[in-house]
Parts: sequence; structure tokens; C-alpha cells
Amino acid sequence: MQPFKNIITNFSVKHYKLVMLITALFTLITGAFFPWVTLDTDPENMLEQDEPARVFHNETKKQFNLSDIVVLGIINERHPDGVFNPATLQRIHELTEFAKTLRWQAEEHPGQWAGVIEVDMIAPSLVDHISQHGPGTIKFEWLMAHPPETKQEALAIRDKALSNPLLKGQMISEDGKAISIYLPLTDKLLSYRVYMELRKKIETLGGHEAYHITGLPVAEGAIGVEMFTQMGTASPLAMVVIFGLLLLFFRKWVLVVLPTMIAAVSIISSMGLMIAFGFPVHILSSMLPIFLMSIAMVDSVHVLSEFFDVYTKEKGRKQTIQEVLNTLFAPMLYTSLTTAAGFLSLTLAPIPPARVFGIFLSIGVMIAWVVTVMFVPAYIMIIPEQKLKHFGLCAQEKEKQNWLTRALAAIGTLTYTHAKVVLGFLVILVGVAIWGITQIQVNDNYAKRFAPSHPIRKADVALNSHFGGTYTAYLILEGKDRGNPTQPDIQRINQDLLRFSNKIRNDYPGAPSLAVTVGEKLSDIAQKNTTFDGFLDSAMQYVEQIAAGAPDEDYDALQELKTFWGLQKEKRKLFKRPEVLAYMADLQAHLEKAGLIGKSNSVADVVRKVNQELTDGQPENFRIPDKLQSVSECYMQYQQSHRPNDLWHLVTPDYMQANIWMQFPSGDSMNTKAAVKAVEAYFTNHAPPAELDHRWAGLHYINLVLETKLVWGFLKSFAGSFILIFIMVSFLFRSPLWGLLCMLPLTITLLAIYGITGMVGKDYDLPIAVLSALSIGMAVDFAIHFLERSRAAYREKGSWKAVAPQIFGEPARAISRNVLVIAIGFLPLLVASLVPYKTTGIMLFMILSCSGLITLFALPAVLTTAEKWFFKKVRSKNYFFSTVKEREA
Amino acid sequence: MMKIGIVAILWGLLGTGFAEELSPVPTADEIARKANHMALYQGADSKGKVTMVIKDKQGRIRKREFTMLRRNDDDRDQDQKYYTFFQVPADVCKMVFMVHKHAALEKDDDRWLYMPGLDLVKRIAARDKRTSFVGSDFLYEDISGRSPDEDNHELIEMTDTYYILKNIPKKPDTVEFEYYIAHIDRKSFVPMKMEFFKRGHRLYRVIESVRLEEIQAQENGQKVTYPTVTESLVRNLANGSETKMIFSDIRYNLGLSNKIFTERYLRRPPRDAMR
Repeated sequence: MQPFKNIITNFSVKHYKLVMLITALFTLITGAFFPWVTLDTDPENMLEQDEPARVFHNETKKQFNLSDIVVLGIINERHPDGVFNPATLQRIHELTEFAKTLRWQAEEHPGQWAGVIEVDMIAPSLVDHISQHGPGTIKFEWLMAHPPETKQEALAIRDKALSNPLLKGQMISEDGKAISIYLPLTDKLLSYRVYMELRKKIETLGGHEAYHITGLPVAEGAIGVEMFTQMGTASPLAMVVIFGLLLLFFRKWVLVVLPTMIAAVSIISSMGLMIAFGFPVHILSSMLPIFLMSIAMVDSVHVLSEFFDVYTKEKGRKQTIQEVLNTLFAPMLYTSLTTAAGFLSLTLAPIPPARVFGIFLSIGVMIAWVVTVMFVPAYIMIIPEQKLKHFGLCAQEKEKQNWLTRALAAIGTLTYTHAKVVLGFLVILVGVAIWGITQIQVNDNYAKRFAPSHPIRKADVALNSHFGGTYTAYLILEGKDRGNPTQPDIQRINQDLLRFSNKIRNDYPGAPSLAVTVGEKLSDIAQKNTTFDGFLDSAMQYVEQIAAGAPDEDYDALQELKTFWGLQKEKRKLFKRPEVLAYMADLQAHLEKAGLIGKSNSVADVVRKVNQELTDGQPENFRIPDKLQSVSECYMQYQQSHRPNDLWHLVTPDYMQANIWMQFPSGDSMNTKAAVKAVEAYFTNHAPPAELDHRWAGLHYINLVLETKLVWGFLKSFAGSFILIFIMVSFLFRSPLWGLLCMLPLTITLLAIYGITGMVGKDYDLPIAVLSALSIGMAVDFAIHFLERSRAAYREKGSWKAVAPQIFGEPARAISRNVLVIAIGFLPLLVASLVPYKTTGIMLFMILSCSGLITLFALPAVLTTAEKWFFKKVRSKNYFFSTVKEREA
Repeated sequence: MMKIGIVAILWGLLGTGFAEELSPVPTADEIARKANHMALYQGADSKGKVTMVIKDKQGRIRKREFTMLRRNDDDRDQDQKYYTFFQVPADVCKMVFMVHKHAALEKDDDRWLYMPGLDLVKRIAARDKRTSFVGSDFLYEDISGRSPDEDNHELIEMTDTYYILKNIPKKPDTVEFEYYIAHIDRKSFVPMKMEFFKRGHRLYRVIESVRLEEIQAQENGQKVTYPTVTESLVRNLANGSETKMIFSDIRYNLGLSNKIFTERYLRRPPRDAMR
């Protein structure tokens, strides 16, 4: 190890021009890949392609022709009739017509179009209305064939819409103040484009109405787009802030640009490599620059800090830098390795973009390390000696006693004289923090990624207060096929057949004897078939066979028998069976009553509504009819509309799968979780009338899956990185005891920070989960430096009492400068308007500054209290990192 | 008046074949009127079995089978009556759909529906005819016909086989299309293809006559043939769905009684006519 570090330093000092050239070339080459950058703003990609929930979600979308939907809400609070006045409805009509035009040539498939799916749009002028039209007459019409001209016409439209339970709470609010237009998209990634187009159009409309655009695709799309633009502002700002801080610390432009250059090299090359390897820039990896910005600088700040303190004119730059690197080589290597390992632990999370982020972050960290040990000496060598005039602590003797040195000295004294008090205080802190952590609730909400003033957040609040909810999930019920008919099945069907033939014997006297003929054949037919449907088909074919050669008087009877078999087939289609529909209706009512969902639509609602209008329109006939045939007639009538295919969003054409379309008024994932649990319980407590599977789909549900995955995934990677780093530091110090001590500050910090999270009621969501795993590798650095320096000094001085003041000199200053640079470096994220960025900024600032502080408090206090324990071996054993001074001595 | 008379006499003398070659190109309105006749009014009445196969974008298939009776009220291509008796799917077997079509634009058609499951006869009042026919891609108006008087017709092209008409609705806000292009067979005047366009010349719906058959029949004791479309296909380009309609057992001039087309026959279809 020793020769190795000397070789590197000597090489760099000697061949500094070559080193500079290589560094520049490497940066240019990797940077050359930037033009090939591709973006991936789809949060769904946080899940593996073959993740079962995602696969099922996509299958469901295909099965039921479901699309991701943009919701455009129009609210009129000023007009006494709400939105139902001619002027507002005219504007809504205009917007609807405009929305139809939001379609473009598909980029990937020339000749095809992409955009809003007109046939599936929901708007007042695009939906049907069924109603009574005098006794015995039923009327079908467009709800709003054209915008109304009078107040009466406008109110008539309101009353019609409110009479339709399928539309109430969905397209129109129950108070009549708001209308939502639903715009299904061919691809959810177009949502932001649609969103921007709509906003442009809305600006031209005028009027007193409030317009809101929401829906998960919009929120997700907006996050994707805005993240990248906000990264574009936050990253340079972070650079400026860090640069300012460095200038404050070191005063010399020539030296201060150095960390900035290292950060640039590390950011450009790691991003370039990521692009070169074909990974798209995802929402997570968009944060790569801002992470690397400060982390890449850490090592060079240590070098500069030490250089600043050690440099004297007499020693000269060459000897100083060699001395400095000798002292810092190993701790820098180890802190870089631990940081990289912390990031690498993200690969343990089952989230593809997190893995990419983790890998390239750690690559960036290691690039920064290499550049620091190679490029920094080279750079210092090309600075003319006279430029360093007045540089260094010695040159600024009068400033030696500044606020930082005084504060550090005070901490040094306090932790030595009142070590037990400090420890006691920390123990109390840990206790409170643990209680706080138990208060944490796991919850994620897409809308809350936006600041309360953001239009999407406002839209979320406004629309969800008027409607059943803008968040959609689908509960898919599926009938199970029971396979071929059993003997009892055949007997039952045979009896039904005989009963049926007796019932029609007045009209068709030949029916009973023909039924007997068919009945005798059933067992044979069953044996030749492997499926139930095949059995029924064969039975029907048998009837046809007889009919072909039958005399005229039997022909009609056989036609009836054929219908009987056809009907048996229809009866196997679960979602034509009244009792199954009734079960669905009850389940929906249960969930709505419990307040778990805002609204739901299913074929049970369709059939009830059509049945009501087909009978007499009276509210008591809003019910599932008793007979399968009646249900089928309702289906048939529902389809005799302008939108026959609406039915297929709710049931598959084979009537074996149905979709309960659920709307949630809040984006909180814990509400989704509650609904999922309630459905489980319902199925357990109320046996369905037929064998039914149930599964969830829909973006809102996917988010719940994602959240669960993320929380546990990141907890796993957190544990992984904790253990890995513990092993690394134990190896570094050749002692698990020291390893443990090294982990202490960040452990206390994380407990405290997450305790506070729990106490202030901030939800444990995706950004917070990611940070816990990320921060360990960074936060441990301060402790490594502190302990490494302490041990080195102890070997020299032989007692902690002598060491402590020295440690609170230069080493503590270096650590503090680092803490400030790295922690404050994340604060520019606060200017971003997206909440996850703000959270990242605040959390990292808190984690890093706290762990810095706690390092300076907890470690000396522990070492003071348990000096004998920790130091008994240090003196005797050959120390892993020997310093220059030590060797000289 | 005089001129028309002479033309009529000439027609009679020269015979149709000869006249066709000599006669000037018919006007767009004439073509539309004749096409309307060929599509809907041949014979005094007719009967046929219909199989409908509805196939969605994913290839999932639904079937309908029904028997359809039609009777013209007179020979002026005006009012008609339709009686549709469902057999398949079995759960809507015996459902009947009856229409008294009124050619006059201002008069809505009378429609009835009998639902055996609910045992209900309902009259249906509909503002427009552009709703789905039994959930298929055919519209009610495709079945009972769109009156030529609803559109302005323009002969935009004449190929060897087709007159190509552009038809623009007189009341654009009552329909979802902007115009449609009809390819009408020059010899038989049977419409062979209709393409419906939305604003911006966006084709979204196509109806094609896939098979044309000469159906033998008797008219006033004479043997005649009626060129009849026995298979047609409608494709909905907006959602990738399509419906094939196949006619079989077509018979003309059976002498269907007017009283079949009344409310009391909805519950009890005429067995002979259904055979």
C-alpha cells in the first residue's frame, strides 16, 4: 500500500503534464456521448418489465381497452347554476372539440396517429342519455347534441346528466358546479404535451370558470419534464454556492477552481459513460450531477484544507503536496470506497433505475478519487509558486482564531470534560428518535410531489373536492373455468332440459319426446369432450343434426331445444348472471359506504341503469333483473348507442372477466392499501356466488405496488450498505469495535432524522426511502476521517488527553469544512418547486450536517469515556496508515 | 314536361342496354336515387337470414343471427317496414326489433323493441339514426338506409366501373361525419363502397359490399333477378373493430302481410315467415 500511494503521487508530480492531458482527454471522450442522451420519464419503469403487477396491469389495459387518462375539470363557482349555463357549456363544447384535435403522427409508427382517443373521450357532447319519453317509450339521444342557448336548456342537460349514476361524480359533480372531461391517451407519455396544449387553449377562452388539468399521467409526465428542467437550474446553482464557500475557506481562485474541475470531470465522465452504455436518464439519475457535485469535491477539499494548513513558503508546493497526500491517501481511498459502496447498495433494490443510479454514482465517486490523487498534485505543480503567496494558515496568522477554530476548540473541551453528559444527552436523543420512528407512516402521493401552489396540486385539490376522485384503479374479477362437466352436472342439465320441454309442450307438442332423445345421448357426448363448452356445443350440434332430417312438425320444437343449449352456454358466462352482478354491486356499495373509494362503475351499474329505463324509469327499478335473459337484453340495449364499445371497458366480450372501475379522491397510497385490504376482507367474509378471482390494476394501484417495493427495497439496500460499510471500516481499523464506533454517528443521525420525520408527520415516501440508503456512504466519511486522525495522533502522543485538542485543530477544521461544503451543496435543491427535490435537499443537508456534528460530539465523548477499551491495541500494533510524520519520527 | 315524356318514350323504344350507352351521364342526384333504390327497395318485400360477426381489434369475436323481413309501403321508394327477429345469441333469442321507416325527413321513424326476458314491448324514440345496430359496427342508418334527400351529392369521378359520389350532409350537426364518398357500380347502381370522413379529410369508417349475387324472384308473374349484396363489411378505423354481415336464404316478393309489422306480432312472430 505504501509504495503504491507514493508511486502515484510521485508519478503525478513528475509527469504532471501527461496527467493533465489524460484527464482532459478522458473527460472529452466520455463527454462526447452526451448527444446520444435519451430520457425516460416513465415512473412505471421503476418496476421490472416482468414484475407481475405490471404485467397484469398491461394485460388488463389490453383486455379492457383501457387507456391512461387526462382529466380536464371545469368549475364555475360564480354562476348560480354552476357550469350549467349556456356560456360555460359553450366553452366546454369548444374545449371538447379542441381536445379531439390533439392527435399527431406517431413518431415510432409512421402512418399511425397518437394522442387523444376521440371515441373513448367522455364529455357532455359525447355521451348518451337514456330516458323515458312518455309511457312505454324509451328515448336515446346525445346528452348535449349541441351547446344550449337558454338557461332552461342548460338546466335540462344538468338534470339529465344527474339522472345517470354512471356519470354522476364522474363526468359531472353532484352539486352541478363542475364538469370533468376525460381524455384517454394512446400513450401516457403524451400527457404533458396534451396538458400544455390544453393550457394554451384555455387561455384563449375567457370567462369566470376555473380550469384544472389532472390525472396520474399528467402528474407523472409533469414530474418527468419538470425534474429535468429544475435539475438544470439547481445543479449550476449548487456549483455557485459551493464555489462561494470554497472561496470563503481558501481565498485563492487558482485553488478553488480545482474542486470544481474535479466535480466537472466526475460528472461529465460518469454521465457520459452512462449514456455510452445505453442507459436512459431516468428521474433518479437526473440527480446524478447534484450528488456528484459535492461528493466529488470532498476529497479535494480535504487535500486543499490540509494543504492550506500545512503549506509554508519554505516547504514549497511539491513537498507540501506530497506530505498532504501521504497523510490523506488512505482515508480518502476509504471514504471514497465507503461512499461508493453506499451508492452501490442501491443495486440491492429491486428497482432498475435505482440500480443504474447507484452504479454510476459509485463510478462517479471513484473517478473523483482517481482524479483527486492524480490530478490534484499535477495541478498544484503547474501553479507558479508566487501565486501561492499569502496562502496557507501560517500566512494568515491573524485569522487563526476565527469563529470556526473557536467553536471547534469549545466542542473539544466540552466533549472531554463532560463526556458522560454528552453521551447521556445522545442516549436520550436516540430514545426519543426511536419513538419518533414508530410514528412514521408509509405513504406516497403523486400530487404531493408538487408544491401547493403548483397548478397540478391545485387541480388535484379542486377536482377531488367536487368529484368521486381523479385517481383510478381497476379491480378485475375473473371467473374460473371448472373444466369438463361432472355426472351431476349432466343430470342437472338433463332435468332442466325435460322441464323446459314440458313448459313449451303447448306450443310444440313434440318437444318432450325429442328432449328425452337428446337427454339419453348426453353421457356419450360428455365423454367425447374435454371442456364444458365443448360438451354444450356438441349437444347443440346433435340437436341440429336431428333437425336437419326432421319432419316439419318437429322442426320448430328442435329450434327451441337448440336455443336451450345456447342458453346453457350463455349461463356459463359469469358476468351475465344476475347473482354475480348483484355480488359486484354489493361489493361496490360496501367500499363506497366505508369511504374507501369515491366512486365506482361496473357492469352492475350499467345493467341496473338500463333495466331502470327499460322498465319504467322509476328509481326502484334501478336493480339487477332476475333473469339472465333480461341482463343480456340490458347489455344489448346499452350497446345500441352511439358508444357501443364503452361496455368493453367494463367486461370482456366473453363475459368471463369484469372490471370494477374505482375512483379514489386522494392520491395517498395508504388509502389504496386500505381499499385493497377491505376487498380482501370482503371476499373472505362474503363468499362469491361463483368461483371468482380478483386482482388489481391501474396506475394508481401500480403506485402502491411501487411504493411497497421501494420501501422494502430501499430498506434492504439500506441494511446492505450498513453492513457492507461496517465491514469496510472494521477492516480499515482492523477492529470491529472501531468499526462499530465509526458507524455510531451516522446511526444516531439517521435515527434522529427519521425520528423527526415520524414526529412531524411527514410521510415515509419514495424520496425519503431513497435517501436513507444513499446517505450512509456519505455520512460515514466524517467519522472515518475523525477516527483515523485520532488514532494516528494517539500513536504519537500516547494519551487521549493530549490528542483531543490536536484533533480539534486541523482535522476537525477539515471535517467541518467538508461538512459545510457537502451539506450546503445540497441546499440549492430547495429552489426547485418539486417537493421530492426539496425533500432531498433538506434531508441530505440535515443528515450530513447532523452526522458531522454528531461525529464531533459523540466520538470524542466515547473515546474519552472508554479510552482504555479503544486504545489498548492502537499503541502496540503496527498501524495500517502510517503518516509521514510517524515515519520521520 | 314534354321533354321528359319524349325521353321516356325513347327509353321504352331503345331498350335499356342501348339507352345506357347513348344516354348522357346521369346527374349525381339520379345516381344517388338509383343507388338508394338498389340498396333498399328492390321488390315489394324481402326476407333473409343474417349472420353478423363482430370482431374487435384483438380478434375477439361476437356473433348475432337474426331473420329480417322488409316490406315497401308503395313503389315510390318511400316508406318501408322492417321486422328483425333475433335467434343468436340464445339469451336474446326471440327479441324483436321493428321499424316503420318514414322517408319524409321531418318525420322520425317509429321503432319498437320486444324483449322476451323482461317480456316488455317498448317504443324507442331516438333523435338520430347514427347509433350502433345491436352493438355491431353497423349503424341503425346503415341497415334502414340514409335518405338521399339528407345529403347534397356531387359526382366527383367516373371510373370504368364506378360512379364516385361525394355526399355532404345538409345538416352537418346531426351526424358525426363531414362527408362520405360512395362508389356506385355503374351497371347495377349498387353501392359497393362507402368511405366516411371526419373533419380534416380523416377517413374513419368504411363499408364495403364484399359479395354481390343475382337473386332470382318473381315479379308480376315474370322471372326477374335482383342484384343483391349478400356480404358486406364495415370497418371502424377509429377502434380497429369490424363487422361482417352475411345474408342467406334471401327471397323477394313473398307477399308479406302488412299486419306482421304491427305491435301484436312482436310477442308472437309469424312462424311461417320465420321458417
